[in-house]
Amino acid sequence: MFKNYFKIAWRNLLKNKGYSIINIGGLALGMAVTLIIGLWMQDELTHNDNFKNKDRFAQIFQSQTFNNRTGTGPAIPLPLEPALRDGYGDSFKYLVMSSWTNDSYIKYGEINLSRPGNYMQRKAPQLLGLNVLKGDEDGLREMNSIMLSKSTADAFFGNVDPIGKTVRISNEHDMMVTAVYEDLPYNSSFSETDFIMPWDHYYNTQEWMQNSKDNWQNNSFQMFVEIAENTSMESITNAIIDVKKNADEDVVQYNPRIFLFPMEDWYLRSNFENGVQTGGRIKYVWLFGIIGAFVLLLACINFMNLSTARSEKRAKEVGIRKSIGSQKGQLIYQFLSESFLVVLFAYLMALIIVLLCLNGFNELARKEIEFPWGSGGFWLISVGFILFTALLAGSYPALYLSSFRPVDVLKGTFKTGKYAGLPRKILVVLQFTVSVAFIIGTVIVMQQINHAKNRPIGYDREGLIQIPTFSQDFTGKSDLMREQFIKSGAVVEMATSSSPTTRIWSNRSGFTWEGKPEGFQEDLAWTEVSSEYAKTIGLKIVQGRDFSRDMATDSLGVLINQTAVKYFGFENPIGMLLKDSDVEDPNPPLKIIGVVEDMIAQSPYEPVKQGMYVYDRHNNFSYYNLRLNPNQSVNQNLAIIERVFKENFPAIPFEYDFVDEEYAAKFAAEQRIGTLSGIFTALAILISCLGLFGLTSFVAEQRTKEIGVRKVLGASVFNVWNMLSKDFLKLVVISCFIAVPIAYYVMNGWLQEYPYRVILKWWIFALAMLGAMGVTVLTVSFQAIRAAKQNPVKSLRTE
Amino acid sequence: MITIKDLRKSFRTEEVETLALNNVNLHVENGEFVAIMGPSGCGKSTLLNIIGMLDNPTEGSYNFAGHEVAGLKESQRTQLRKGNLGFVFQSFNLIDELTVYENVELPLIYLKMGKAERKEKVMQVLERMKIAHREKHFPQQLSGGQQQRVAISRAVVTNPKLILADEPTGNLDSKNGIEVMNLLTELNQEGTTIVMVTHSDRDSHYAHRVVNLFDGQIATESQNRAIGATV
Repeated sequence: MFKNYFKIAWRNLLKNKGYSIINIGGLALGMAVTLIIGLWMQDELTHNDNFKNKDRFAQIFQSQTFNNRTGTGPAIPLPLEPALRDGYGDSFKYLVMSSWTNDSYIKYGEINLSRPGNYMQRKAPQLLGLNVLKGDEDGLREMNSIMLSKSTADAFFGNVDPIGKTVRISNEHDMMVTAVYEDLPYNSSFSETDFIMPWDHYYNTQEWMQNSKDNWQNNSFQMFVEIAENTSMESITNAIIDVKKNADEDVVQYNPRIFLFPMEDWYLRSNFENGVQTGGRIKYVWLFGIIGAFVLLLACINFMNLSTARSEKRAKEVGIRKSIGSQKGQLIYQFLSESFLVVLFAYLMALIIVLLCLNGFNELARKEIEFPWGSGGFWLISVGFILFTALLAGSYPALYLSSFRPVDVLKGTFKTGKYAGLPRKILVVLQFTVSVAFIIGTVIVMQQINHAKNRPIGYDREGLIQIPTFSQDFTGKSDLMREQFIKSGAVVEMATSSSPTTRIWSNRSGFTWEGKPEGFQEDLAWTEVSSEYAKTIGLKIVQGRDFSRDMATDSLGVLINQTAVKYFGFENPIGMLLKDSDVEDPNPPLKIIGVVEDMIAQSPYEPVKQGMYVYDRHNNFSYYNLRLNPNQSVNQNLAIIERVFKENFPAIPFEYDFVDEEYAAKFAAEQRIGTLSGIFTALAILISCLGLFGLTSFVAEQRTKEIGVRKVLGASVFNVWNMLSKDFLKLVVISCFIAVPIAYYVMNGWLQEYPYRVILKWWIFALAMLGAMGVTVLTVSFQAIRAAKQNPVKSLRTE
Repeated sequence: MITIKDLRKSFRTEEVETLALNNVNLHVENGEFVAIMGPSGCGKSTLLNIIGMLDNPTEGSYNFAGHEVAGLKESQRTQLRKGNLGFVFQSFNLIDELTVYENVELPLIYLKMGKAERKEKVMQVLERMKIAHREKHFPQQLSGGQQQRVAISRAVVTNPKLILADEPTGNLDSKNGIEVMNLLTELNQEGTTIVMVTHSDRDSHYAHRVVNLFDGQIATESQNRAIGATV
């Protein structure tokens, strides 16, 4: 029986090639989009799945409240470790302190590279479940040991056994390689950890850390834990939430809350707003999931519409089969198996499309998704996917076609009723509603990105580079280097800074000043800079003056930004003194000497944070900022800078970033979303138009006789074109009026998340509507004009 | 085999009700060959469709081989129709996407007959209808006469008790028409009951009995003298 169904289905496909191509091609495109989105979602949802203890893995987080604004993050103070270990040790299987993941210079023989890695406590390999390929699983036991990832070890040692070899870190410390571990997968939160060194080494070599041993206010560290069996994250959080508040009365005013942030949420639900977890990337997982579902629906609608539109052709077959003895149920099966066959072909094509596009998609989406050939689950889901799509696309046509009465069909009096086309029209409206909404959404996302990109950033990022200086080798050499760089002619100005211009790495509180309101809890961005910082990066002084090398007192000077002026509430900020609120602090107060324009160092969508630029008295810098000579080519400049750098720091690899590129990276996430949704929108429109194209050709065919009569009676090509196009255009106009309010509502909601956002203008909607109508007219016209041009005699004779 | 009593059939559109059959009484014996004649629109085809269980009467009773058919649901009618009835249409109504062989095989598939048995039956009937050499062809590759022979093959392959023919020679030239009529006569002589709607006086002479319909009512009935006569 099924053989017979498939046979007739196959012959039908071959007989109506154009129809089959539209049907299978459209479905294949739709399924390919859904498949790619599915793979992407799978990749997102399985982030960190490499950790077998994922459900018991957590990071210690902290919320603190300054001036009624609650900030939440992973930074914690040193004394929290003994407090948790001694007070709540039973709750944890592992408790591991860690530094941030920072780049370090690693040197072995002639090879000198910069790699990211962490200092961690001894149980890190167990907590992270590292697969130690060579050496000691307990590789952090000795103070001067280092564990390397496989790829890092290969970069230095190639085929030589690295175990027992000594590498030099930051040209300061010699560390012995004790273990090589398998690289963590790219979609893991620790994928960047190329090496691990012992926490104790970090502690013993950093005086500031030893000084922070009992300081509850220096939140500069991270802690990762695996909770013990038979406990829960909630119960531990409940137990430890006030541990910091109870330990230090000075911090009570900030209401610090310590809690476990489960690994489950790290990647997808990492946003906190005013102390409340508010989702995160999961939003995009949903968004793309919805897009995928809609694109598939659009393709299925094509199938339904084209199948039912062809009903008159199939009606005779239905009638004959019924008169011969077919039950309605058998006909339903027959049509469903036809749709199954079409969907199966479409799926095979979709697989080919996915295979062809996966690399490009990975590049766009910054993924390393591989096609899951070997995954049984994938193929099982595929079977389900095919059946689901076949049912979704085929059930309506099957029910519709199988319900014809044989007596009507065979008598030749069969005419599809007045309202038979109505469901088809509704489906076309649905298709174009989705398409128009997609167009509007994409245009608004693009606009918002451009809006933020064009926002004045407060300094000149072109022709500016930054060189990381993460080694003691750089200490005390800044003035000398500035002199040499300028003398070389490649650089017109240089300044150091404690954080890159595109980031804020440090925040400070604990100041007093004249007229400070009672209970005001300040929180300011803190950057330590050398005298020529503003001049180098092109930051404008709007009040007062810049640092000057001629004024010795400027070492206690500070520049604040315009937002800070408002934040402090200063009417005349110049000359104001900022004292440490710790009365025993021996340092003299900082004096405000100038006000600079607000510059964007954090999110380009957020208001600029109140900030201060303090003269760097203690060599706390992490970057050289260099303004390149605009009269020479960038390559010339870089070659000279590299030479000068190598002469002075032969043991340090020369590395640099273009500040404009670093800044552009802030848009990467939104840009990716924009590009992807642009592509998916284009595909959605293409699929909808394919369907429309197919429908028009059927309508034109159906009305051949009518068109012939009209032409005989004097209708022009234009009249006929107008008649055929108008019907479809009407549907698209209806779609527009449904899509616009929906798109407005959704996109307006999306934009609310960005304090710096584009204002929605009416012409965006008008443009999207006009675009959809234009595409419709083009699509329909092709068939309509062809039908209109036919010789009427021919069409009339066929009756 | 067929007993129809006080049959009425009306069609209702938005505005008017048309009476297609009014007070029809008809009895057909097993093995009889009956021709229904009458002008266009007199209700011939409607009556045939009701006899063929493709349509339900509005009023009255229709008894087929001991089963009351009036008022049955479509699925029940399909069940009763299967294997008992064969249809031959004026326009052949072959499925264009199926070959000759597959078209004839179709009713057997719906009867859930095994493959080997199907093959035997189909080939048998195709041989008999002298169309076996065309078994792999599609309907559109055949002449009208050949197509009608395929249609008759399909109608008789299940050995039905009753064959309903709706102007079986209407689309054929006289030579092919005569051939088709001879085939039907042959089947009738082997015991199959035949009810045929026709416009053609010539064709009606093959029947045992001619029923004349006019305006939805049986106007006259006449017995043909020479049963199975050839003209």
